[in-house]
Amino acid sequence: MSLIVKRVIPQLIVSIILIVMIVFYFFYVNKSVAGVFSAWDKALSDWAIIIMAFALMVGGADIFRYHLIQIRKAGMKQAPFSIVTILLELVMIAFALIGFYISYINPESGISITTQPQFAWLYTNVYAPSDTAVYSILLFYIASASYRAFTAKNPTAALLLAVAVIVMLGNTSLGGLIWPGMLSLRDWIMTVPNTAAFRPITMGAGFGAITLGLRLLIWREVSWLGRRE
Amino acid sequence: MNMDTLALVDKVFGSKILLYILLIAALIYPFASPLGIPVSISSRTMQVYNYVKSLKPGCYVYMEIYYEVAARGELEPNVVALVKQLFDKDCKIVFVSLIGTGPIVFSLLRSTAADLFNTKKYGVDYVYLGYVSGQEAAAASLAKSIKGTVSVDNYGNRIETLPLLREVDKATDFSLAIIASSGTDTFNWYVRQWYTPYNVSLLFVALSVIAPSVEPFVGAKQAIGMLVGQRSAAEYELLVGRKGLGLASMDSQSLTHALILVFIAAGNVVYWGKRLRTKKK
Repeated sequence: MSLIVKRVIPQLIVSIILIVMIVFYFFYVNKSVAGVFSAWDKALSDWAIIIMAFALMVGGADIFRYHLIQIRKAGMKQAPFSIVTILLELVMIAFALIGFYISYINPESGISITTQPQFAWLYTNVYAPSDTAVYSILLFYIASASYRAFTAKNPTAALLLAVAVIVMLGNTSLGGLIWPGMLSLRDWIMTVPNTAAFRPITMGAGFGAITLGLRLLIWREVSWLGRRE
Repeated sequence: MNMDTLALVDKVFGSKILLYILLIAALIYPFASPLGIPVSISSRTMQVYNYVKSLKPGCYVYMEIYYEVAARGELEPNVVALVKQLFDKDCKIVFVSLIGTGPIVFSLLRSTAADLFNTKKYGVDYVYLGYVSGQEAAAASLAKSIKGTVSVDNYGNRIETLPLLREVDKATDFSLAIIASSGTDTFNWYVRQWYTPYNVSLLFVALSVIAPSVEPFVGAKQAIGMLVGQRSAAEYELLVGRKGLGLASMDSQSLTHALILVFIAAGNVVYWGKRLRTKKK
C-alpha cells in the first residue's frame, strides 16, 4: 500500500500530466478538440501558478526556520546576521499584510502589498541601494582580476584576449572613435562565432530536457521522489 | 625593459588601491564633466528601431519587466526609450512581471519616465498587471488568457474594469512582446510559450553579460532583435530623441573600459617581459 501511495501514484500523475502537456503543445486534431484541450491546458498552467505561489510562502518560512537554527547553533558569529534577516523578514511581512488588508477593505485606494508606502520605502531605500552596491562591486573584482588573468600566455589565450578587447571597445563609444568598423566587428563576433558556440549548448540543454522527460515518462527518473535509483 | 623596471610596473599596476581609485574617478568624472564622445548607431539597434517604427499606430504591445534593482542601470534606459517610441505611436502597453521584484522596479520605471507616463492614462493606454507567480507556467497561461490568469492588476483594480484589458486578452492580440530581463531563462520561456505556439514577434532587452547566451534565438529569427546593455540604450535614446541614463553613462563606461584595457596591456607587458628575461637567462 505504502509503495503505491509513495511511488506509483505520484509517478502516474507525472506521466499523465507529461503526456497531456505534450499532446496540448505539439498536436492539433480539430477546432473543437483543441478547444477542450486548451481549457485543460489552461487549468494545468493555473495550477502550476498557484502551486508556485504557495512554494514562495514555504521558501519564506524555510528562511525563517534556517536562521532560527543558525542563531542556536552557530552562536554569536552568525547571530547578528540571522537576527537582522529574521527581523527584516518580519517587518516586510507585517507591512505587506497591512497593504493586503487595505487592498481588501478599500480596493479603490490603489494600495496593495507592493504599493504599501512603508513596504515600498524600505524596498526602494534599503534593499535597492544594497542590491545595486553588491552588483557594482563586481566591477572592481573583474578589473583587478583582469590585470593578472587576461595575459596572452598561449595562442588560445591571445585569441580570447583579442576578442575581449574588440567586444569591450565595441561596447563603448571609444571603439567607433578608434576605428569605425569596430561596431560591425563586435556584431559579427556576437552573431557568428558566439552563436556557433552557444547554439550547441542550447540544443544540448534541450536534448537533456527531452531525455529527462522521457525518463520521467517511463519511470526511470526517481530522484524527485527523494530516493536514488 | 630591465627587471627593475618590470618590477616597478608590476608594483604600480598590480596595486588594487590605485586601480580602485582610478576606476572610481573614471566612473564619476564624466558625470560631473561629460566628455561628449560621439555614439554611433549599430545596424542591429537600427533594425530594432525600424521594426518598432513599422508597427501600426495604436498597436498593442506586451512588455515583461523581469529584472532586479541591480540590473536597472543597464535595462531601464532601454525600456524607457522603447516606451517613449511606443507611446509616441499611441501604442498601448500591457506591462507584467514574472519576478517578485517587478512591482518595485516598475514603480521606479514610472518615476524615472514620469514625463512619458503622465501623458498617458492608466487603464486606457497602459496597464501593469504586477507580479504573476509561476514563471514559465505563468507565461504560458498569460499567452492563453490574461483575464483567466489574473483577476486584479498591481493596484488592486479588477481586470474587467480596465478598458485596455477589454481590448486585449491573449498572445495573438499583441503586435509585439518585449522581454526586458536580467536572466536567461525568461527569454527561453517566451520563445517556447509565445513565439513557437502563437508566432508572436519577440524583442529582447538583455544585460551585456547575458546577451551571448540569448543570441542563438535572435540568429534563428525567433526574436526580431535584441537591445544589449547601456550601449544599445544610448543608441536608442539618440534615435528616439530622449537623452537619459544610457547616454549619460556612456562616457563613464568608455573611460572605465579604457582603463581596464590599459591594465590588461600592462599585465601583458609585465608577463612577457619577465618571461623573455627568464628565457634569456
